[in-house]
Amino acid sequence: MAMAVVIKDLEWKYEHTTQFALRGVNLEIPENTFLGLVGANEQGKTTLINCIKGLIPHSFNGVYRGSVEVFGQVVKDTTSLHLAREVGLVFADPEAQFTAMTVEEELVFGLENVGYDIRKIRARLEWAAEVTLIGDLLDKSPYDISGGQKQRVAIACVLAMDPRIVIMDEPTSMIDPLGKQFIFDILRKLKEAGDRTIIVVEHNIEQLAPLADQLALMRAGQILKVAPPDEFFADPDFLVEQGVYSPEVTLFTGWLRRQGRFPASAPLPRDLAGGVAAARAALDMGGRA
Amino acid sequence: MTTTVETAPAGVRAPKMRKTLLGYIPIASPFYAYHPVTRLAMYIFFGVVPIFIDLPEINFVLLLIMLGLLRWGKVDLGRLRIYLPLIVSVAIFMFTMVLIFPGRDPSYTPVTIGPATLYYQPVFFTFASYWRLMAMLFGTILYFSTNRERDTLVALRAVRLPFIASYVIGLSIRSAGMFMEDFRTIREAEQARGLDTGAMKFSDQVKLYMMYLIPLFSIALRRADEISNALFARGYTLTGRVEGGGQRSDYILTQYRMQLKDWVWIVIFGVLFVAAAVAQYGFGAFRLIHSPLNLYLRSLLGIG
Repeated sequence: MAMAVVIKDLEWKYEHTTQFALRGVNLEIPENTFLGLVGANEQGKTTLINCIKGLIPHSFNGVYRGSVEVFGQVVKDTTSLHLAREVGLVFADPEAQFTAMTVEEELVFGLENVGYDIRKIRARLEWAAEVTLIGDLLDKSPYDISGGQKQRVAIACVLAMDPRIVIMDEPTSMIDPLGKQFIFDILRKLKEAGDRTIIVVEHNIEQLAPLADQLALMRAGQILKVAPPDEFFADPDFLVEQGVYSPEVTLFTGWLRRQGRFPASAPLPRDLAGGVAAARAALDMGGRA
Repeated sequence: MTTTVETAPAGVRAPKMRKTLLGYIPIASPFYAYHPVTRLAMYIFFGVVPIFIDLPEINFVLLLIMLGLLRWGKVDLGRLRIYLPLIVSVAIFMFTMVLIFPGRDPSYTPVTIGPATLYYQPVFFTFASYWRLMAMLFGTILYFSTNRERDTLVALRAVRLPFIASYVIGLSIRSAGMFMEDFRTIREAEQARGLDTGAMKFSDQVKLYMMYLIPLFSIALRRADEISNALFARGYTLTGRVEGGGQRSDYILTQYRMQLKDWVWIVIFGVLFVAAAVAQYGFGAFRLIHSPLNLYLRSLLGIG
């Protein structure tokens, strides 16, 4: 499978700091897959995605070692315009990425930058507005809408540019439960379309796990573990030590397994449907006992 | 660009005004039927023409016309109350200065009112200047009460201002709006923790305002960083050119169309503007000596 992102021995230290924020990161993300990046705060997740987007080293000063390649091109040597076409980044604070006076202007700003003509801009604008359900917000100021709407606008701005890689940095951190559901619905649609690589930094493991093809755990600037979700959650205690809580249903089924009421060979479930099936299996095993 | 009208649910009064970064504008207004360039031309006319006109009577009439336009434009005139402190404090400042420091000129005519001696010429000049300032101020109020920031940027781009320049202006307007928001947030946070500025001495209030500058500047610096990152992330380049060196499209500009009525009004404003400038600087038509009020007061005071 072709690789969307290849990171080799990446180290990064911000100017005026003593510690490296990233320490020997190696990671390969296959094309058109969904990677969930998890870990406690201040462990280097945002720094890592900034390296993939090229904000590091283009917009930050510091010590940079190793390499990041996006579709075979070295990020360090690639222009911001080219990176904008390839990699879209949704910031944790959506307001931080707004620069225009209306939502519509906000959406077309990136499209104009990458050189689309008017007809294509209109088509991309309409598509992104439809996918993110912001058609009724186009005429509004991006500062006068709710937190969830702001986040959807921020995502629409990135999707409109049709990047092959979409990165979202804690996209649900500032919004209410309904807004979170909207965001995960968008992520689900993107995943189902299967035509782009998605990288999401997120603390909401319950929602992230069912979507992710791979989960990566960061700790102290290093990637401690990269695995498909079944394998990733196999040792919940280890994850808790790293500040990451597995989905409740996974923890519950893990407990059932330790009680001998869930087959050791079966994968631990990540969502409610899997949990119900696991509970049924446990009841069956209990009945036999 | 069509005017959008938002409807409210039954039983809820529909909002008439919409917030912008710098104030409030009506949700529906006949002004929106005109291209932003026409509205900018109107602003330049009403905002600059008072500079050419010394006569307080004409500036007063201009001000009344602008109030009429505000009303026609469906602007909630009640919201203009926020400018009242500015209008009053400018008057207090100007007239206090001229009464205390009238200047020295043998041609000045003293007017004694009780124990005070005033000098007619500087007082009348200040009176005329005040109405000129007010006319200019209401020109600005009229513009920002009927135009969104987006309209300003569209107008600037439509007159072929380089994209980078219009973008910097847009970012500056945004920063001004965000600065005011941050200021309000900091004040509310202090009030929430029990600070009562009303009970403070004036000197303490001044000190407090100075202290606000520290968080405001640090927030502004952080925001500048964030905007810079956002521009990079969306592929913005200072040249305004796209990959391969071509010119960037301007989608928003295509949403607006100049109509015949726009051209008619732009020509009218342009002709009146030039006529006012020529009348004043070529023929002195609007000089204070032609003011009917001035002539009347001079005859009343026996000034030749």
